[in-house]
Amino acid sequence: MNIPDGILCSKTHEWVLEEGNLVSVGLTDWAVEQLGDIVFVELPEVNSKFSKDEVFATIESVKAASEIYMPVAGEVVEVNENLINSPELINEDPFSSWLVKIKSEDFQQDSQGLLEYTDYRDEVQ
Amino acid sequence: MTEKKTALYEEHIKLKAKMVSFGGWLMPVQYEGIIKEHNFTRESAGLFDVSHMGELYIKGKDSLKFLESLVPQKISDLRQGRALYCQLTNDDGGIEDDMIVYNSFGIIEEADYLVVVNASRIEDDFSFIKNKSRNFDVEIINKSDEFSMLALQGPKAKYIIEKMGIEIKEQPEFFSFKKANLNNIPVFLMRSGYTGEDGFELLFKNEFASVLWTKTLSYEEVVPVGLGARDTLRLEAALPLYGHELNEYTTPVESSLGFFIPKDKKEDYSGKNIILSQKLKQTPLRRKLFAFMMEDKVIAREGYEVFLNNKSIGKVTSGAPSPTLGKNIGFCMIEFVGLDNELVSKLNNIEESIGICIQIMVRNKLYNAKIVKKPFIKKKYDK
Repeated sequence: MNIPDGILCSKTHEWVLEEGNLVSVGLTDWAVEQLGDIVFVELPEVNSKFSKDEVFATIESVKAASEIYMPVAGEVVEVNENLINSPELINEDPFSSWLVKIKSEDFQQDSQGLLEYTDYRDEVQ
Repeated sequence: MTEKKTALYEEHIKLKAKMVSFGGWLMPVQYEGIIKEHNFTRESAGLFDVSHMGELYIKGKDSLKFLESLVPQKISDLRQGRALYCQLTNDDGGIEDDMIVYNSFGIIEEADYLVVVNASRIEDDFSFIKNKSRNFDVEIINKSDEFSMLALQGPKAKYIIEKMGIEIKEQPEFFSFKKANLNNIPVFLMRSGYTGEDGFELLFKNEFASVLWTKTLSYEEVVPVGLGARDTLRLEAALPLYGHELNEYTTPVESSLGFFIPKDKKEDYSGKNIILSQKLKQTPLRRKLFAFMMEDKVIAREGYEVFLNNKSIGKVTSGAPSPTLGKNIGFCMIEFVGLDNELVSKLNNIEESIGICIQIMVRNKLYNAKIVKKPFIKKKYDK
């Protein structure tokens, strides 16, 4: 598994990566490991707007449904359609399986409470 | 409250199982993954630690008469070495627990009958049964802390048991049990399970747990299976789970267990009036349990609301993806009070109820589902 440089993680187990003027949002490897086999993903519509910490997606493992929170406020510009038919891709590689790409409102401000990957792992273990 | 641990706790940790709290016990929910464990059980064999289940011994001059008074089933028809699926009913006909009763005369010295009950219900069952026993010459002993239990389930299970020393023709038949030595370890070997597959349940003293677990897992046809896959396996086989499909306010007939209720049992038992008159269709059902399959791709989970023609009619009691079918399945309890008569009569008729379209509310949206025939998969018991 490849952990991209510059990734930031939330305490609710989402990751964000700023790439140009877009921000990719996904689920951390630790969260994915806890969930086990992912069998269903419900993603938001393009153009929908979310504030920081708002629920924007649902991921279901065999056992349970989990709500996914937006780590930074923004507008969805792209959703990862591949995951709809192949949700198991998230298990295979959580960091390349982004859920949505968003146009962030104020990434600097919103990302202040997020953790570097190593600090995040330290925190959850 | 600290959770109890089975004698195999350290073995689960060694295998890096994910542990969860279940019915007061710390149990493995999965080892390598629920779907893999599920499929392996259907195709080969899975080994489950079910030591959290409870064992009660019933012995005494009145043991038969006493058991007859506890359950709607006919214990007098249960021959030595045979087992029977029963419900422990209360005075209102509700289910206190579901359990398997073994006629252990001549097999277990200290028990005329062995009763295996759900983990979360052990203490409640014991005091419920004890209270009912006052006027009977009978002794009830809770042996749960002395025993461990393994379930070996799947089409290869009988070959594994053969390799462990019991030839196939010597193995007990479906819903029978016998005393046996597996790799020189004394066990009660039962032909039963909770997956819809052929398989065995092994009951033995705690001291043998690690050896038997390790030995059984040494065969490449066997993998350890956690509670996650146990749940999807039992759901596909449409086997109810206490506290979900079954509860103290709902009768066996309403819980779609009418098949297990004899019409002609002479002896009295708790709740007999209502259970029997429901069985004979003399008293209307207040609610009924149905199996459903989602038409849409979403998963209906326990507690989600069920609708018919935009009217809320009940709740999902269990729901999960079915790895075998690739569909999302579940059970729901439909409340009959307030429904029009035509619909109720359709729901009361098994043939007519199949195919009825219902909707299930998932995250504030309604999705389509259909009432389907039980079980979801064909059971493969070796009968």
